[in-house]
Amino acid sequence: MGVIEHPPIIRLPGVPDHVTYTWLVMIVLIGLAVAARGRLSLVPRGVQNFLEVILEQFIAMIDDVIGHEGRRYLPLIATLGLFILVGNLLGLVPGMNGPTTNLNTTAACALVVFFAYHYIGIKQQGAVTYLKHFMGPVPALAPLMVPIELISHLARPLSLTLRLFGNMTGGHILLAIIFFLMGLDGLIGWALSGSAAGAIVGGIGGIVMIAFTVGFLYPLKILVSFLQAFIFVMLTMLYIGAAIEHADEHGGHGAAAPHH
Amino acid sequence: MRRSLIVAGIAVLGVPGVAFAQTATAATGSWVGPFSVLVAGFAMAFAAGLCALGQGKAIASAVDAMARQPGAAARIQTAMIIGLALIESLAIYVLVVAMILLFVQPIK
Repeated sequence: MGVIEHPPIIRLPGVPDHVTYTWLVMIVLIGLAVAARGRLSLVPRGVQNFLEVILEQFIAMIDDVIGHEGRRYLPLIATLGLFILVGNLLGLVPGMNGPTTNLNTTAACALVVFFAYHYIGIKQQGAVTYLKHFMGPVPALAPLMVPIELISHLARPLSLTLRLFGNMTGGHILLAIIFFLMGLDGLIGWALSGSAAGAIVGGIGGIVMIAFTVGFLYPLKILVSFLQAFIFVMLTMLYIGAAIEHADEHGGHGAAAPHH
Repeated sequence: MRRSLIVAGIAVLGVPGVAFAQTATAATGSWVGPFSVLVAGFAMAFAAGLCALGQGKAIASAVDAMARQPGAAARIQTAMIIGLALIESLAIYVLVVAMILLFVQPIK
């Protein structure tokens, strides 16, 4: 990708790019939080209002999926969601590098979720009760259920990692190729080269490509950014909800954990 | 008829690979490099097509359910999006494998 992709504009020596831009996302989020915290008021205005609207969306989703007692996990869930969302959107800014287009960042998020929901499950139910979930409903089926459950649980961080990474990187490569095709090495460069055919074909083609990018690809990428952050958060909530759901509780709230 | 078509298709797919492989063997000493590029493209094509079929089925029944019960549209939509993400992750696995074949090239 180094051939067709311009390196990001901010590069710290000795620091990988995705770490630099992870720090940038952290600065943005912490800055927003500090700006809202400085002038807290009972009637929210400005930044505080903006953040409250976002967090109320998270709380509504948590109430919907985990239930009322899931609100104590709001810091974990909302932090992950906001970090992934801002990271995804940062990848769309030209000259920036989205931290979520790197496998290490997404693997870190997924591993945090993996250990967090096991910790929450063990803390809420006790280790013995929680581990009994892995044996399935009938004790006779335990030799069959334990490997299945183990593989299913181990596949969760893998699929969380690869889904976010693949979606973001696929879109990133697509944008890089489109920009390469229409940039100074491509159609626009041809239009500026001075030849008559280049001016006609490259000019029209460049305008069509710019309209396609601005009108279709960028809105699509913004939609995908929000959707992937939503899906990551939603799956996190499903996993936590399944971990704290009691085995003997019938007709529990929320959706069951997906087995995949 | 169909079997002969399949055989012809495999032959058409295979012959350039063999020819390519022999020139590549002469040039760089391995046929895996150019073949992995071919495989990456075809794998992504198959994965995208089949993933589109599956997602189309899911969306069709979700829209059907939403049209029957507009009151439950929000919950159906949430379930549909989660399901689409789980279906899509299979195609994403193929994308990751294709990118590994193209950019990392573990077997040269």
